[in-house]
Amino acid sequence: MLSSLLAVSLCFLALSVRAGSDYHERLLLRPLPQNALLASFNFRSNETSSSFERQNFRYFPRSLGQILQHANTKELHLRFSLGRWDAESWGARPWGGAREGGTGVELWAWVDAESETDAFARWLTLTNALSGLFCASLNFIDSTKTIRPVMSFEPEGNHPNMSSPNLHLLHGTLPHEVVCTENLTPFLKLLPCKGKAGISSLLDGHKLFDASWQTMSIDVRPVCNTDGSNCVIEMEQTVDMVLDLDRSKRPRDNPIPRPLPIEEIECDTSKSYNSQDSCFPLVKTAEPSWSLSEIFGRPIKGACPITGEEGEDGETVCLNVPAERNVDIKTNGGYAEVRRDEGLLRCYKLPSGEDFDITLPEQSLPAPLLLSKPPLTAARSINGHGQERGSVQAVLNNPSDHPVSLIYLESLPWFMKPYLHTLRASIPGAPASTNPIKETYYRPAVDRHRGTHLELLLEIPAHSSLILTYDFEKAILRYTEYPPDANRGFDVAPAVIRLLPPDGNLNTPLVFLRTTSLLLPLPTPDFSMPYNVIILTSTVMALGFGNIVNLLVRGFVGADEIDGWKPGGLKGALRARFEKLKARWFGKGKKDE
Amino acid sequence: MAIDKQKAILFGAAAAVRLLLFTAFPSLPNLLTGRVEISTPVTSFKRLQEGLFLYTHNVSPYDGGVFHQAPLLLPLFSLLPNPSTQPFATNLLYTIVDLLGASALMQIAESGQSVSSRLFTSPRKALRWSNIAIGASFLFSPFTIATCIARPTSALANFFVLSSIAKATQGASITSILALAFASYLSFHPILLFPPLLLILYDAYAGSSKGPSNPLAFSLVHIGGLAAALGMLLYLSAILTGSWEFLAATYGVRLLLPDLTPNVGLWWYFFTEMFDSFREFFLGVFWLHILSYVGGLTIRLRQQPLFVVTSLLGIFAIFQPYPSIADSSLYLALVPLYRHVFPLMRYSFLASSTLLYASFLGPAFYYLWIYAGSGNANFFYAITLVWSLGLSVVVGDSLYAVLRDEWEVERPEMRGKEVRRI
Repeated sequence: MLSSLLAVSLCFLALSVRAGSDYHERLLLRPLPQNALLASFNFRSNETSSSFERQNFRYFPRSLGQILQHANTKELHLRFSLGRWDAESWGARPWGGAREGGTGVELWAWVDAESETDAFARWLTLTNALSGLFCASLNFIDSTKTIRPVMSFEPEGNHPNMSSPNLHLLHGTLPHEVVCTENLTPFLKLLPCKGKAGISSLLDGHKLFDASWQTMSIDVRPVCNTDGSNCVIEMEQTVDMVLDLDRSKRPRDNPIPRPLPIEEIECDTSKSYNSQDSCFPLVKTAEPSWSLSEIFGRPIKGACPITGEEGEDGETVCLNVPAERNVDIKTNGGYAEVRRDEGLLRCYKLPSGEDFDITLPEQSLPAPLLLSKPPLTAARSINGHGQERGSVQAVLNNPSDHPVSLIYLESLPWFMKPYLHTLRASIPGAPASTNPIKETYYRPAVDRHRGTHLELLLEIPAHSSLILTYDFEKAILRYTEYPPDANRGFDVAPAVIRLLPPDGNLNTPLVFLRTTSLLLPLPTPDFSMPYNVIILTSTVMALGFGNIVNLLVRGFVGADEIDGWKPGGLKGALRARFEKLKARWFGKGKKDE
Repeated sequence: MAIDKQKAILFGAAAAVRLLLFTAFPSLPNLLTGRVEISTPVTSFKRLQEGLFLYTHNVSPYDGGVFHQAPLLLPLFSLLPNPSTQPFATNLLYTIVDLLGASALMQIAESGQSVSSRLFTSPRKALRWSNIAIGASFLFSPFTIATCIARPTSALANFFVLSSIAKATQGASITSILALAFASYLSFHPILLFPPLLLILYDAYAGSSKGPSNPLAFSLVHIGGLAAALGMLLYLSAILTGSWEFLAATYGVRLLLPDLTPNVGLWWYFFTEMFDSFREFFLGVFWLHILSYVGGLTIRLRQQPLFVVTSLLGIFAIFQPYPSIADSSLYLALVPLYRHVFPLMRYSFLASSTLLYASFLGPAFYYLWIYAGSGNANFFYAITLVWSLGLSVVVGDSLYAVLRDEWEVERPEMRGKEVRRI
């Protein structure tokens, strides 16, 4: 029952789009096991497509809107992520993977262009402009990091000319990009309240980038009525993070963790050594206490004045805790609380112009919140040792009761050369004749021009796991192509896994999964000695060449036929010199006598 | 009769050794295929497997950075059963190719071209090894055996080079030119062997009863023949793959060296460390350097064109972009034909110990760099320098010995005396 509740709460968030006003924001807070807290921010703004075309921007940020128009981009998805979603303890991802990115930066867009080369040129315009807008290295998404997925992504928006061949999907990743506070500031500037009011006033770089896992996303898509009229351009921004409560509660001026005073620790009194000064601490079973101002460093600074006020639109902060949990609200203004889903979701209407803080005291609960199970778990790793070759192993585990079809997308850098003839997919326990690979799309890499693009359509039976392996070879690069920290290795983008709806139902929300990125160590040359190498190699070549040319162009004569040359080579010359000296000395001696 | 029996025993033993190694150590072929000393990006059997996989799955193997080998290999190898499950057919193919190569080498030895060509007869011609010994030195050379077990496509190119030489010494123009065309088609640089091979063919015609035709017409006919054979092969490849993009992926890669995988040659580390603005310049210099030997050697050693071929093969084994020990094994197979000049060589001990030193330390240093991490790239680079130096000493020293041998025909009284070069 509870797991179905969670799904409801997300769909509730996702479907409240079209209702009412043009700007909408919502924060969902959900305590997770092991003192973690999920904070999921969501901001949506709409602009009618006619005013978008006329550059009449109201809630849609002008800077982004003009970039999209200039690059003829019809739909845009951008992700900045850090950390790993721990699906084993945290359950399914907050948006079913649809708004969460893999480590680093990920960008995909549908670009309107006549040909593939035009589309790529516009894509480069787009990445360069976004790079400037978000202070990220998006301009490094070049042809080697761009792929054109064929099965993994489908447009989320309603495009009137969807079937036309002019809409090109391009996808690029920067797994090495470290997302940080310089990316958050432009992100906040795109919001109408710019972090001054509303839930965005909680977003602070110090806390956000200190989280165990965080992801920021921007999605722009056209949304139309079913008959294709009344189109709006919808922009959705999300920030999701999992905070470690103990870590976030440390004060900023004194961030070093220190042990609690012994009076505050619950001791295991059954231990023989338990006394005044020695204690075996018991694991705390009570839910920890926290408040917004403790965790984010400040309370919410009142409602963003342009959000709609009626019904669900006004319910800006939602708390997903069991119904028995005590919640204190601290504010001087007027607020409203609405309970939904049998009390498991409490939503608050924010006061305007007054601080709003939520405080939860420490409390023991009869039953913890049940988290929805992830539909699939995936882990990917590099096997083998040495810097010459290796193999990639991906383990996809389907814990559910029904078979799962999925699309597995890999985008590998060109210097990692996979051998597709070694690709094996095996399901332990399944008969050997079953081939879980139903379809393969493969575009091999070209050195320095294009990365590898591999898409697989896989099917995993219920309660089983699939092991996917392939061998690859590591290329050695030119010494100028290595980054300054060459021995750290190169990052390989996360694999993107899309779960297909079980019965081909297209209206179910998209479910994605991303593995972690991989670190690929490459063999390195010695960076200190280009001159030495040039000199030494040239010497060996000159020795070979010189010797042969010498033999070819000169003739032989007998050693005794030339004046000034003694036979016998060096030995002969030395002997002659010695004879001369001997003659002189002994000659002298003779004279003296 | 006795010769035939010896030959049968030799071939039987060589085939037995290879097949025994293939079957007794099933992981050995894959181990050797992974060795950079044997498999280069343009000859590796694993890359051939990948190309074959893409070809049989209707993906163009040349639209990628892995497969750089000739297109006609694809239908040939797709006829064989999958080597990962049924390796016997492939193993047998490579064994037979080695035996045919040895047979061609023995034909070369039989022709006696190495000691007495049309224009020159060595005063030391009595001193030579038997055909069987020369064949055995090829078939039982550890380099040849390792090449055969690792199954690079350069083994096929070696066979075509050897048979082209053998047919040229017999005066069989068409077969010789066809074999040369195949060798050049597979590994590009054997086309540089054309001038000395043309001289061997011309000498063979001139020595025969038919009498020599006009030299110009003779060479034009043969150039035309080679061009036609190569054109046909390339055209067949284009039909097979459906486009001409294989040219850039095969010969373009050999010319421009985009793949810097380590090998025993001098190019890879040089171009790893090269400054970007000078890369094209030095590529041109390196290729010109190889080209420059062809004319010089052919003109200076007009009387012994077979030795020009031998020396050129040695130079290719050192200075080509992607050399491997397969190329060295081909050169070292031809050197014993010149047994009669061995007494004139001055640095045979130095050269052989350098080669031994490099062959033992090379794998060790590669291990230190790539796997143990206790050495860096310079370790392996230094060994490739030593290896190249050792081979170039062999090439230079044998050239010295042959020239000295030639000179002693003019000056028989200088035999055994010291000489100077002026």
